[in-house]
This record gives sequence, C-alpha cells and structure tokens, in this order.
Amino acid sequence: MTELAQNVIDGLGRGSIYALLALGIAVIFGVMHLLNFAHGELITVSGYVAYWVFSAGLSWYWIAPLVVLVSVGTALAIEQVAFRWVRGAADFTMLLTSFGVHFVVQAVFFMYVSASVRNFDRPRWITNTFDVGPVTIEVFDVVVIAVTALTLAATAAVLQRTMFGLSLRAAAEDFDAARLMGVKSDRVIRGAFALSGVLAGIAAIFWLMRAGQTTPSAGITPMLKGVLAALIGGLGSLRGAVLGGLLLGLAEVLLRSRLPDGIAGLTDGVVFVLIALLFIFRPGGLITVSRAERV
Amino acid sequence: MKRRILALLAVVALLGAACGSDDDTTESEPAATEAPAATEAPATTESMAEMATHVDIDAALAADLDNCVDAPSGDPIRVGMAMDFGEVSGFADIPGSQAVTHLADLINCIGGVGGRPVEVSVQDIQGDPEVTARATQDLLEFGAHFLIGPPFADFGQPVLQVTEGNIPVFFAASTEPSLPDVGANSFLVTFDDTRQASAAAEWALEQGHTRAITFSSPGPYFGYNPEIFTEVFEAGGGEVISDQNYVPIEDVDFSAQVNELAGIAQGDEVLYSAMLAFQVTALRSQLEAQGLAEITYLGTDAFEATGLLFAAPEESEGMVHTTHAFAEPGGRIDLLLQSYAGRHGEQLESGTFAGLYADSMLLGIQGMLDSGSDDPAEIGAAVAAIEGFAGFTGEMGYAGTNGIPDKPVSIHRVVGGVDTLVANWE
Repeated sequence: MTELAQNVIDGLGRGSIYALLALGIAVIFGVMHLLNFAHGELITVSGYVAYWVFSAGLSWYWIAPLVVLVSVGTALAIEQVAFRWVRGAADFTMLLTSFGVHFVVQAVFFMYVSASVRNFDRPRWITNTFDVGPVTIEVFDVVVIAVTALTLAATAAVLQRTMFGLSLRAAAEDFDAARLMGVKSDRVIRGAFALSGVLAGIAAIFWLMRAGQTTPSAGITPMLKGVLAALIGGLGSLRGAVLGGLLLGLAEVLLRSRLPDGIAGLTDGVVFVLIALLFIFRPGGLITVSRAERV
Repeated sequence: MKRRILALLAVVALLGAACGSDDDTTESEPAATEAPAATEAPATTESMAEMATHVDIDAALAADLDNCVDAPSGDPIRVGMAMDFGEVSGFADIPGSQAVTHLADLINCIGGVGGRPVEVSVQDIQGDPEVTARATQDLLEFGAHFLIGPPFADFGQPVLQVTEGNIPVFFAASTEPSLPDVGANSFLVTFDDTRQASAAAEWALEQGHTRAITFSSPGPYFGYNPEIFTEVFEAGGGEVISDQNYVPIEDVDFSAQVNELAGIAQGDEVLYSAMLAFQVTALRSQLEAQGLAEITYLGTDAFEATGLLFAAPEESEGMVHTTHAFAEPGGRIDLLLQSYAGRHGEQLESGTFAGLYADSMLLGIQGMLDSGSDDPAEIGAAVAAIEGFAGFTGEMGYAGTNGIPDKPVSIHRVVGGVDTLVANWE
C-alpha cells in the first residue's frame, strides 16, 4: 500500500509534465488541425539555452525564466518561418512541415554545436524527500504537481475569461466561422503558439532539471510523450490532454513497479498495448471532440 | 493556389534541409587529408620492403606543421573512414576522424611512412545502413588499403557486407562482440563487452563487494554488459540482489526502481550498469535521497563517453568505470590533443576516442609495413599476426585472437572531478 501511494505520487509528478506538453500540442491542434511534431524542439532549444546559461555561471533562478522566454520565442519563430506558409493546407502537409522543422532544428544543433551530450547541474533540491507517515515523497514531485495545477488553472482562466481565450476557443470550434465573426486569424494563431510555448517552457524546466543534459535530439522523447498523451485524451480536447498526460505518467510508473522483474522491460510495450485497446473502444480518445469540418 | 504552392515549397525546402545533400561529405566533417603529389609508379612489394618497420609516433607528435620536411612523394597509403557524424556515433566518430586526419598530417610532415604520404578519406554514413554501404563502396573506389568503421553493429555490418572480407576493417570505438572476425578481416581496436564487464565484476569482487545491483535493458550493450557482470560476479561468490529495468538514453526518473531498492538494499552494494552518465548521476541522486549513500557506482565505457567528468562533482565523485586508455599528462594521447588544439584552435571532444582511432590507422599501416604489400588481403593477414603493438591506448596484439585485441581494461575512478587510474585489468 505504501509503495502504491509512492507510485501514484511519482506517476502524477511525471504525468504533470506530460500534461503540460500535451496541452500545448492540443492548443495548436485545436486551432490549426496541426499535430505538431516539432513541439519537442522547444525542449531541445531550451536545453541548449540552459546549458549555455549554466556554463556562464548562472543558476536555475536565471535559467528557469529564460527557458520559458526562449520557448515562447522559439514557438513564435517556428510559426513565422514554417507553419505560417501552410496555414489552411491539408493536414498531411502541415504534419510533414512539422517533421521538417523537427529535423532542421536537430540538424542545426548537430552541425553547429555538437553531437555529444551537453551536461549541466541539476538543482540539488530535486531529489530531497519528506515523509508523510510511511510514504516518502520527493519534493520535486510536489513542486511539479503544484506548478502544473497553477499553470492549468491560469490557462483555464485565460481561455475562459479573456477575449484571446474566447477567440481561441471559437477558432478551435470552427476556424472559418470565427474569422467571419471578426476573429483575427494571425493574432489567434500566434497567440496559440505563444501559449503552447509557455506550457512547453514550464515543462522544459522540469524536464531539464531531471535530465541535467541535452543533445540535438533531446526533444524527441518529450514530444512523443506529449503527442501520446494528447491522443489518449482525445486530440483537440484541452481537458483530455491533461487527463491523458496524467494517465500516461501513472501507467508508466505503476507498470514499471508492478510488472514482474522478468518482464519489466516490456513496460513501454504494455503501455502501448493499453493505448491500442483504448483506441479500439474509444477511437477518438477519452474525450471526443466534435468539431466542424474546415473548408 | 498560391498558398498551396508556397506550402509545397516550404515542405520540400524543410525536408531537403533536413535530409541534407546527397554528397558524401558534410561541412562539419573533417576535411580529407591532402596527400602530396603521388608518383606514377605503383607501390610494389619490393618498394614496401624498403620502408620503415613502424611509424615513429613520438617523432610525428613532435612535428611542427609549419616547418615540415619535404613532402613525401611515394604512392599514398590510403585510409578510408566510414564515419557516422550523427548523434548515435558522433561522440566517437567526430573526434576520432579529426584525430586521424591530424595524425596523418603530422606523419606527412615528418616525411610520411617510408616516403609514402598518408591520405585519409572520410565519408559520412549519416546514421543510415544504406548510405553506409554506398560510402564503403566509395572508399573502396578511392583505393583505401584499409578502413576504419563506425562504432555500432547496425552500421558496422553494412560495411562488412560490402568489403566481403577483402580489406581490413578496424572498429575503433566498438565493444560489440559480434563485429570482430579475423576471417572477415574485421578487427576491434578496443576490448569487447565480455571483457569490460568481466573486468568490472572481478574488480568489484577484489574490492570485497559481495552484493550487487544491476540496471539493465534487454539488448546488446545495455543488457549484455550487466548479464556478463552478473555471471562473473556470481561465479566469483557474489550475489546480485536485484536487476532493475530501465530505458537506456531516456529514463532520468528512477522513482519506481528506487522505491523498490529502498526495501532491499543495504546501501553498501556495488551498482553496475551500462547507463549513460546523465542517467547514472540522476539515479545516484535519487538513491542517496533515500539514504542509500554508500553504494559504489560501477559502469562501462559509456560513463566516460557521455560526459561523466562534466557532471556536477557531487554527482560523479567516486564513480568507477571501465575505459580504453588513461590519458596521462605528457603521454601520447595528451600530446596528440595538445597538437590538435595548437593547430586547430579547439579541443578534441574525447581523448580516449582520439587515441583509439589513431591506433586504428597505425594498426592498418603496421599491417602494410609487416606484410610489405599494398594487397589488402596480405595486409589483413599481417594485422591478424600483430603482437606487442604500442600505440596510443597501450600495448595490444591480434595474434591468436579472433580480432579482439589482447589489451588491458583501464579502470578509472573519478577523484576530485578528475579521472584517476585505479587498475589496468589484464
């Protein structure tokens, strides 16, 4: 029971990071129908910024806000350079473009930085623990869960209570109708990328604090986790993305802990089997989004 | 319509940029060594016989590239390098190929090998087996006398399929036991995984450890090393109390495994894995937070290759790992690194790999000198008979082996943030 409680907290901590990543992907998908495989590049770029800032002798107090700023800037730059030109194009075209961005960013770091791992210090507090009865809890998990909850609450407030949020939701519902009602497409799309950049930036802080390193392909794993979580939750559903992230994190930790030693190596495989089963029974994911077809 | 055309162009441009050109070279790869003008007469067994018996490494390292002797004018010794500059192998192949081209320049600067210049051609295999096969074919057409291949079997095998045993291939940075085969003219320049895992287990037993924990993942390197460690450790009287699974290169949160270990570990075990440096340091932090503070962390050459020494001192201090050489100050590797930095204004990223790749080239040349021939088959036979070769990474030989050199395993411990030689395990 004690181990189960610890696993649940660990899983929620891990899942919170996935939820932030998935939410950023869901926001973009809602507005553009773009499944953004370049989302992980925000982590890659953030990782190198963390490395360079750390190499300059600055601490995580500087790195953390800078990572968010850089993530937002990178998201906007990618939109401006790549996705702007394929707005309204077929979903497949946008998908290929996102792959292209992913490969280009990766290649740039290969060619102009290094193929080798770049290390930076993790904050010392992230492995500190405290006991609640027999359960040992990592401070890091508590911080991640709390910050994620605050971020999600703030995101919900932005989406529900601001004109930008209204525009974004309208665009997600029916982009063309929203435009006819006066929503400025440029503004709402850039806003969506900026929001996804903020969410990825916060996720990047926690991801990089754990990793303590970066490479040109550092963004692949977080991107895959984010996309998977968004698919589990139901593409385009913001609540589904959060739910998908948390469930994915819980499934990974619980399976790794509960599977017998001999087959623990199949954890990821079992996770994918569960996801496949989910799609058999709920092809649209946990929360199905009804949406008008784009013209 | 205009938007669709623009979209198409953007996608094509992005994909084009991502895939790179079809050229076999990239801007980031080291330039091929320019050989001085070759004589028209082909090299013969007789002319080879007049050559030196070995490359004078120390003289080459002392060469001043701004004041070279007259350029050697014999028929070039051609070295082909099929290298992967991507993320999978770039950590070794980039510094390795840079070291080889620089060493070739140094050798040419002192007059070459018996009057013959060393000419190096580097091909980027782009982490793709098909490109690897094409690049290998190009190197054969270049007239390479021997090849230096990439670290992993995924790309090493395509090289061997093309060479078909007709030309010696050296795998400078591979510990993969499936690659070496004298019959196929395939040689490792390192010890293999069986040897490094055995050495680690024997060392742990010698230190008095009786309990071990392993972290493994099914597969060649990440699974095979812990498997051999377990076999040797238990055969020597030790007990592996737990084998934990993890995802190589990816996992940095080991909460599930640490929770389980907290219930069974005493805290003074030896923990063996083939993890990468950033993973083992993350694992250590989490284990220490659970009060398991006296564990001895023991790993493979991946620790060093992935930057253990660049990790935070409190995370890497005391960690032990097997590796291929000790770059002692003033030693040959150190001199090679200094020479490279002096010439190119930047440091090679890895001294150990620089040494291994340099040794690969020197072993090939040694095979040519010993056989007195340019015929790759004769060179291969001579390489297989090499004994007591003293290069950059210690003394080694292939005589009586199946292509895995008989050389000691260096065991290092991080002390004060610096790699310190603990033992040379024979």
